[in-house]
Amino acid sequence: MVHTSLDVVDEKISAMGKALVDQRELYLGLLYPTEDYKVYPSHQLCRYGYVTNSKVKFVMVVDSSNTALRDNEIRSMFRKLHNSYTDVMCNPFYNPGDRIHSRAFDSMVTSMMIQVC
Amino acid sequence: MSSELFTLTYGALVTQLCKDYENDEDVNKQLDKMGYNIGVRLIEDFLARSNVGRCHDFRETADVIAKVAFKMYLGITPSITNWSPAGDEFSLILENNPLVDFVELPDNHSSLIYSNLLCGVLRGALEMVQMAVEARFVQDTLKGDGVTEIRMRFIRRIEDNLPAGEE
Repeated sequence: MVHTSLDVVDEKISAMGKALVDQRELYLGLLYPTEDYKVYPSHQLCRYGYVTNSKVKFVMVVDSSNTALRDNEIRSMFRKLHNSYTDVMCNPFYNPGDRIHSRAFDSMVTSMMIQVC
Repeated sequence: MSSELFTLTYGALVTQLCKDYENDEDVNKQLDKMGYNIGVRLIEDFLARSNVGRCHDFRETADVIAKVAFKMYLGITPSITNWSPAGDEFSLILENNPLVDFVELPDNHSSLIYSNLLCGVLRGALEMVQMAVEARFVQDTLKGDGVTEIRMRFIRRIEDNLPAGEE
């Protein structure tokens, strides 16, 4: 699911040129995080993309049956993610490309997710 | 000068040592050695710039270290606490340590004393002013403690003026 959204992000980047963009697309018929894909037409998953000027892509998947998240809330979440990400990058023990194991990053993400639920 | 470059440089140094030595104890020793070599040189710069005179006792030394030296080189002023009854040991409490900004110790380096360079610097610098001391970390924010604490212990005055050895 995340891979297909990455493809869409790439398409949009090439269409929009260089700039910090904040994109959004809706996707009906969800993919579940298990092996078999089940189709639930009643669920809607919104996937939001964010690309930094260093071409790092963030994808956020939101179940929109929860609450309608406003655009600026999504934007500020991405900004927080971006800031925490740069902090992780500054950790000398982190190798770019590795999975992020940082406790600070995890706790920021968890608190952000709790806030919107 | 921006502190990020300094912090990242120190971080690169420590991670390179970790790759070279593979076990934390050796890295700690290397950091201490490197710190010592810095300290024996840094003391000259410090004395020239700060113009402090000879300290009369260890308490004065503590004050100078915390209020002048740390301020001059790291921009922080640790507090001095936990004096031993004999007046030969004290603690430096660092609320924040610029060397460890953004650093998170991975689990496989739990016995690494990341800022051990500082202990070597203190040891080397004081040796050049005829004081043999021991400096060690007893608390570290990287290991989950609330503050970073360096314990300084006065061993003896160095009477013989042999040139300081390089380690």
